[in-house]
Amino acid sequence: METILQIPIRIIKEQELVIGPLAWDEARKVPGLTIDQTHNSVSFSGDKKDAVNRLVAQYERLFGKASHEVCRESVQDLIAEMPPEEVPSSLR
Amino acid sequence: MSNDDNIPISPLEYKKVTEELYGRNLELARLYKQVDSLNHELGTANQNLQDSIKQRESLVHLVTHKVKGSFTRSKYIFAGILDGTFGEINEEVKKRAEQGLESDNMGIETVDLVLNADNLQKGAVKYDMKMINFKEMVLKTIEEKKGPAEAKGLKMEMDIKDGEKDNQYNVLGDSFWLKEVVNNLIENSIKYTKNGKITLGLENRNGKILMYVKDTGMGINPEDKKNLFTEGGRGKDSVRVNVDSTGYGLYSVKLIIEAHKGRVWAESEGLNKGSTFFIELPAA
Repeated sequence: METILQIPIRIIKEQELVIGPLAWDEARKVPGLTIDQTHNSVSFSGDKKDAVNRLVAQYERLFGKASHEVCRESVQDLIAEMPPEEVPSSLR
Repeated sequence: MSNDDNIPISPLEYKKVTEELYGRNLELARLYKQVDSLNHELGTANQNLQDSIKQRESLVHLVTHKVKGSFTRSKYIFAGILDGTFGEINEEVKKRAEQGLESDNMGIETVDLVLNADNLQKGAVKYDMKMINFKEMVLKTIEEKKGPAEAKGLKMEMDIKDGEKDNQYNVLGDSFWLKEVVNNLIENSIKYTKNGKITLGLENRNGKILMYVKDTGMGINPEDKKNLFTEGGRGKDSVRVNVDSTGYGLYSVKLIIEAHKGRVWAESEGLNKGSTFFIELPAA
């Protein structure tokens, strides 16, 4: 599976640990992301990096910088394997 | 948006509160993760421990059965030599065969001790609990052990308190295993006492039967006392006196007595000052 496809789910699940089911509700509001909670999968429409950036911003807008840090930490191992140009700017 | 006093909350304040709550939840989530990870480690350690115990049990059984089988086979060879199965024998051969037979019997006894301890430990022993007269059992065992004690020049004394009721020494227990306990304690005191006497006491103290075996033997040093009733807990000095010490005798005693809802303990003033072993059982 393409690494960037794993990023949104990883972020949502990490946020779920902190804020509960609200994490899924907020993710569903992000344009360009389609969430399938039952199968723990997402699909993108449009630019994938932009969609991830919007997801991170969605949480940060509501919960502040700490939530941004949680997003970044949750995908450390995934972005370590990605070419730098493919890493969404919010996670660098 | 307003608070409890119906005073409107500004969006800025609302954001501040939300972020604070998020921070607290985050701390909780991190703690949860730590606990979860520790739980996982504990689970793995527990599984490893259970695997090791199973392996150890199977090894103990394999080794002890093989060893016991070897002892039993050579025992019958020595017994055959002694009873003339292989023809007439001279005095020297007879002497050696007797030594061999005795050594095999001791070996079988040791293997049984280890096997019993293992079975007691894993709860494989089913106790046949019946009303028994503990005093009668003790007296019978003393009678059996008098010979070996006297052969060593040891005096055996009894200090049995007679009460008003005949049944004051009744206990609910398994006579086979309780006899093993009494046997073990008396045999130990004979083994570890070079000279002097062994006193066996019995009394019903407030509904509890207290038995003690007191000797004038080598005593117990404080360091060894800690491991006395543990698995394989042989004392440093006890091995010098009794090279066949397995460290499973007192461990079995403890397991048996605890299964009878009793307790066992030992007292000693120190090395070469004798020792006293106590068992306490609930009177029935």
